[in-house]
Amino acid sequence: MNRSLLIICRQSPWSSLQAREMLDIALTGGAFDLPLALLFLDDAVLQLLPEQQPSLLQQKDLTANLQALPLFGIEQLYAARRSLTERGLDELSLGLPVQVLDDPELKQLISQYDQVITL
Amino acid sequence: MSTLHILSHSPFSDGRFSSCLPLLGDEDALLLSGDAVYALQPHTAPHQQLNTLTSSIALFALEEDVSARHLPAWPARVKLVDYPDFVALCCHYDRVNTWL
Repeated sequence: MNRSLLIICRQSPWSSLQAREMLDIALTGGAFDLPLALLFLDDAVLQLLPEQQPSLLQQKDLTANLQALPLFGIEQLYAARRSLTERGLDELSLGLPVQVLDDPELKQLISQYDQVITL
Repeated sequence: MSTLHILSHSPFSDGRFSSCLPLLGDEDALLLSGDAVYALQPHTAPHQQLNTLTSSIALFALEEDVSARHLPAWPARVKLVDYPDFVALCCHYDRVNTWL
């Protein structure tokens, strides 16, 4: 029985490679059928903005990787409501269908997984 | 089902501390290591935030990091631990969430 894994990402999309590396971890886990979920916390919710143009920064688009998550069996996608609100983001206009959770629900979420990685 | 959260960045220059606190469950624990022990500095906002956490949340700090920084005092509820204690804590809780 595989141990379940919650990946908590806190990184904004374009200032470093960490957001991409976190997605690589998630997609790799998905390819090996690990039961895993992804939580976008703090600046990571900025990854969810639609129609970003990273090519202007000579960077590859993360959107394709994000859209690939369900194809790799990663359907448990969550975002922190407080992080969205702090950054003025509307949960209805995000580029990826995520479940938005309040702090008490986030505590509950973390306690449901065998392992947690925060990056 | 409880989680040991581990912080190692200064609460004054980094958002991990303030992001972590609202996610602490009632049975969870927080271990401060490295620059995160600066949260114990008296008369500061992080120190105040630690004191207002639910009393069921266990607080630990690595003694080596506290002593090295010569912090004058810490809240009574904070237990200073050494590295063997650190390992024991990691085994005691259901999962460890290190805020890398």
